[in-house]
Amino acid sequence: MDDHLVLERLTKRFGANPPAVDGLSLAVPRGALLALLGPSGCGKTTTLRLVAGLERADAGRVVVGGRDVTGLPPEARNMGVVFQSYALFPHMSAAANVGFGLEARGLPRAERNTRIAEALTMVGLSDLADRKPRALSGGQQQRVALARALAIRPELLLLDEPLSALDAQLRDGVREEIRALQRRLGTTAVFVTHDQAEALAMADLVAVMDRGQLEQCGTPEDLFERPATPFVAGFVGRTSRFAAEVEAPGRVRAKGHVLEAEGTPPRGPVQVFIRPHRIRLGGEGQIPARVATRTYEGATALVSLDTSLGLLQAEVPADLGLREGDTLFATLPPAALRVFPA
Amino acid sequence: MTGWLLAAPAVAVMALGFMLPVLVLARISLNRTDDLGAMQPDLGLATYDKLLSDPFTTELSISTLGLAAGSAALAVALALPVALTIRAAPPRWRGPLALAAVAPLLVSGTARVIGWLAILGDEGLINMLLGALGLPEQRLINNWTGVRIGLTESLMPYAVLVLLAGLGRLDPRLDEAAATLGAGRTRTFLRVTLPLAAPALAAAFALTLVLGISAFITPRLMGGGRVFVVATEIFDLALETVDWPAAAALAMLLLLALGALLALRSALPERGR
Repeated sequence: MDDHLVLERLTKRFGANPPAVDGLSLAVPRGALLALLGPSGCGKTTTLRLVAGLERADAGRVVVGGRDVTGLPPEARNMGVVFQSYALFPHMSAAANVGFGLEARGLPRAERNTRIAEALTMVGLSDLADRKPRALSGGQQQRVALARALAIRPELLLLDEPLSALDAQLRDGVREEIRALQRRLGTTAVFVTHDQAEALAMADLVAVMDRGQLEQCGTPEDLFERPATPFVAGFVGRTSRFAAEVEAPGRVRAKGHVLEAEGTPPRGPVQVFIRPHRIRLGGEGQIPARVATRTYEGATALVSLDTSLGLLQAEVPADLGLREGDTLFATLPPAALRVFPA
Repeated sequence: MTGWLLAAPAVAVMALGFMLPVLVLARISLNRTDDLGAMQPDLGLATYDKLLSDPFTTELSISTLGLAAGSAALAVALALPVALTIRAAPPRWRGPLALAAVAPLLVSGTARVIGWLAILGDEGLINMLLGALGLPEQRLINNWTGVRIGLTESLMPYAVLVLLAGLGRLDPRLDEAAATLGAGRTRTFLRVTLPLAAPALAAAFALTLVLGISAFITPRLMGGGRVFVVATEIFDLALETVDWPAAAALAMLLLLALGALLALRSALPERGR
């Protein structure tokens, strides 16, 4: 697969603040859906705006399909953008909104109408074509925005927090619709989100950003199972962490417990991360633990374990019968530990 | 009840400062002027008859309306880019910029006119520049041109204020959305900005039109005695000719006309959103 979108050392500063985007390099294969994931203020939206041409890069390049578009204004980039607030034209009907980009391209009326109908059918809104945005629900407005962005047959589809303005019940459905549509059309897409569950569920590739920099870009499995940095380990999925010291390669010591671990640095203090579902509990094991709290989550329960390493979260079958105050032992399998230099 | 009580001071001020003089004026307009020019107590519409049958009144109304409509339209057209620029400015600049745009309101009309004299006068800035370029001198003051320029400038701050208040629906994201869809600046302005600004533009035009029709200082001081509008005519009738009934009747007619304009504006349905 060739790379459709390539960002090279992209940098953007606003005033005297630290750079909002700081030397970001990324590649998105053709047809893939990339999620830009990170906490608010990490530069993910600025990155999307740089790709769309709505911000001017201070340094670096945006290359789309082998063409350097860094210096092009947004109207010359052919990007379909779905804004967080949708930014539908309030004085135009849904159809006129969808047709706006086609009109700007000088398409004859007949062809415009065909493509408007096509785009509205695609998002299931063909019978609401004459409605003004005000007369549409949030979910319907979102679809009009999506249809408007897709009607121009964009080079890239860019979505800024596309689900954040929707009710929780709507979100999963719309998520799947966007995903299915993007797959079917084969459009390369980038979407911005602060919700890691959303990123993991939707995207082919997830780029985790923090303070303007790329922490890791990989498949959802990569991020979840093999986080490259402590930030990714802490940000993606639930995790517990404790401090330790490397005793010898493959062995760390924490509060008197000696634990085997993979991929340790040769020496020095480290941070150790472990996912709740990887901790094993039993009548015997490595570390004595007491159940501090138990949160019922349906099929599973999340227990917070009070140990000499600090609080560790463990995910257990809900029918295991653990109760608050129970004492037991926790075992941390070597393959489950992610170790980073502290 | 509390609302009425709180409104009472304002109502009292309006009653004393506005309603009462208007009633006095209305009463005077019903008097009549005898052949010697003296006011005689009466309760008739003779003065109105005389005014309305006088072709000069018609001429005066048309030129007043023409002046006000032209200046109001120009003021609104010039105020739109100003208001759009202020809205697009970074938040910390918006306050100072808006203040600068309405600052002319803080200056007395007379001082403004003196400023214009320095710019538009025969020895003024513009004619000096024209002279330096070897171009013929232009008469830019003490005529209709001068009044048009001065009135437009004096109406602009009001137009900016109304537009700033009325452009709330113009989300800057809409401009961005239009750009990503391939629209250049002109198309975005014509298809997005202008239609969404239309209600604010109409409101600004209505206000500046009314202010322009009743303007007195600018036509008086920048017209050099050659520009006659309804407001200057009322002044002349009252203080030069000392025909109080005629002055009062003309003032009442102006008030009625302005009231009718405002009523028409509020009766018009808001443009479809």
